[in-house]
Amino acid sequence: MNRSCLAMVLTAAVLLAGCGSDRPPPGVQGDPQRGKIALTQYACHSCHVVPSVAGSQVYVGRPLNDLSTRRYIAGKVPNNQANLVRFIRDPQSLDPGNAMPTLGVSERDALDISAYLLSK
Amino acid sequence: MVLTLLGAGATGAVIGLIVLRGGFYDISATESHYPLIYTVFEEGLQYSIQNHAKDIAVPALGAPEQLLRGAALYRANCLQCHGGPGVAPSKHGMSMQPVPGPLVDADINWETRELYWITRHGIKMSGMPAWEYHLSDSDLWAVVAFVAAMPVMTPADFKGMTAEQAGVDAVPPKVQQSARASSEREGS
Repeated sequence: MNRSCLAMVLTAAVLLAGCGSDRPPPGVQGDPQRGKIALTQYACHSCHVVPSVAGSQVYVGRPLNDLSTRRYIAGKVPNNQANLVRFIRDPQSLDPGNAMPTLGVSERDALDISAYLLSK
Repeated sequence: MVLTLLGAGATGAVIGLIVLRGGFYDISATESHYPLIYTVFEEGLQYSIQNHAKDIAVPALGAPEQLLRGAALYRANCLQCHGGPGVAPSKHGMSMQPVPGPLVDADINWETRELYWITRHGIKMSGMPAWEYHLSDSDLWAVVAFVAAMPVMTPADFKGMTAEQAGVDAVPPKVQQSARASSEREGS
């Protein structure tokens, strides 16, 4: 019962969050709403918990809920949109040996995905 | 009281019929489930598999040749949707709804007997096919043994084991067909 209540509250919170404006911070390019869909088409949410995207509690990759405040990407390079796009498209180029594969994400899709993650 | 309940039920049925026949439900694979719906489906899936797999006896697993066989079968049949450490799924696997999960964390979510049940019987409405009629029982266990060993593999280990030349050919059709034919002969 508690669990279903919690789930309903969470759902309500998610729906309400959907009503708010999800504007990316100043200087961030791309379309966050398109990025939210694009990231599901590259299976980001199969390994990462992504805010406001339905999926399993999966922690193969780290949760992507704090990218707007995180300092480093992969603990290696400063967190900015250009580096985030680069990491999404080719993680090995920034962190060789990382278990995240190259998923064939296009430049535009990576830009929109990064815009979504940076606006959360 | 009874009338109220009947009225509520009838109203619900009418609304349901309107949504169903009106085609208002968005069936596209780019439209995510609501998180609550997803969670309810996933919990149902877990309880169902726990229940149906509870009597399966797990044989000894993990002999080197079995792992190599499992790796070759994984490359041929599983990698396209599930990927692996450092290896992406193919495009159709990435854009499925629900998305096929990674299996490096399978040991957290499932007992070994449950992995066998899932591989053998598949999962309805999820895209996970049943392999019972396509893989022999020893091959099913080989795949399960390999998946059970995945959590301790580095990306380099995984790529090495699933490389083209690493194991026996995954699906040698002639050998399998003749093996099946001979087992059928023995059975009859």
